[in-house]
Amino acid sequence: MSTTISQALQPAFATGEFITQVFLVSAALFMLLAIAMFYRAVKGPTTQDRVLAVNVLGTNTVVVLALLGAGLGEPSLLDIALVYALLNFLMAVAISKFTVERGGVL
Amino acid sequence: MSELFAGVLFAFVLAAALATAAFRDTLTVIVVFAAYSLGMALFYAFLLAPDVAMTEAAIGAGVTTLLLLLTLAKTVREDTDRLVERVNIPAVVVFGGLLVVMLATLGEFPAVGADDAMAWYNPEVTQHYIANAYDDTGVKNAVTAVLAGYRGFDTFGEAVVVFSAGVATLIVLNKEVFTRE
Repeated sequence: MSTTISQALQPAFATGEFITQVFLVSAALFMLLAIAMFYRAVKGPTTQDRVLAVNVLGTNTVVVLALLGAGLGEPSLLDIALVYALLNFLMAVAISKFTVERGGVL
Repeated sequence: MSELFAGVLFAFVLAAALATAAFRDTLTVIVVFAAYSLGMALFYAFLLAPDVAMTEAAIGAGVTTLLLLLTLAKTVREDTDRLVERVNIPAVVVFGGLLVVMLATLGEFPAVGADDAMAWYNPEVTQHYIANAYDDTGVKNAVTAVLAGYRGFDTFGEAVVVFSAGVATLIVLNKEVFTRE
């Protein structure tokens, strides 16, 4: 039976109570940062600012997912973090291409 | 400490949803909606539903944004000076009423893992699935076993509906191409 990435990392997630709290608190702090990034996405003023803000938000989400996976003891959240890291890039490329040459998305 | 995280995450998702509803420019709405989707995926992951979070990641960040951008590329983007949408009073009244009803329902839900939860009204059925799902279907996830194993025909019917909708869309699109030529 083949081992997935999350199964291979399982021992690394056997952590104590204190370190769990640290992971969850840092996840909350990263979410506070996300609100600051979202301010840029709302304020703009140009579309490029917004795309950049959402791209950084996506990277931030990957970090928060990894911290949550460690804090909650759920290594399967790392798989979602990987999917997000890939798709976030695709989204930024699509929107950037759309704004540079109108009509082109992919 | 996880309450702190949930609180901040909730504030973020609420702000993103309000911004999505309020903005006037379509491209801005698409970008802000992607941020909302990021927050929702985090919520699903936080509530330990990795399969739903994975779907939200693929649909919300990937497919929805691309489909909306493709639609925008084929249609016209309305030029506007105003940043935010004007508030539609009748819509606010309808939405407010709906919100009150939904919040009233929310209070009646049992807590997560509570003894008086709806799933335990019929303990024999619940226990049967939990005990036999793996042996009966060979699927390790009990939810997936019920969805694709015990309710296989139901799910198959749904797949047929989605497939026919796709075929119908293709037929309509083809017709449009022929009329243009």
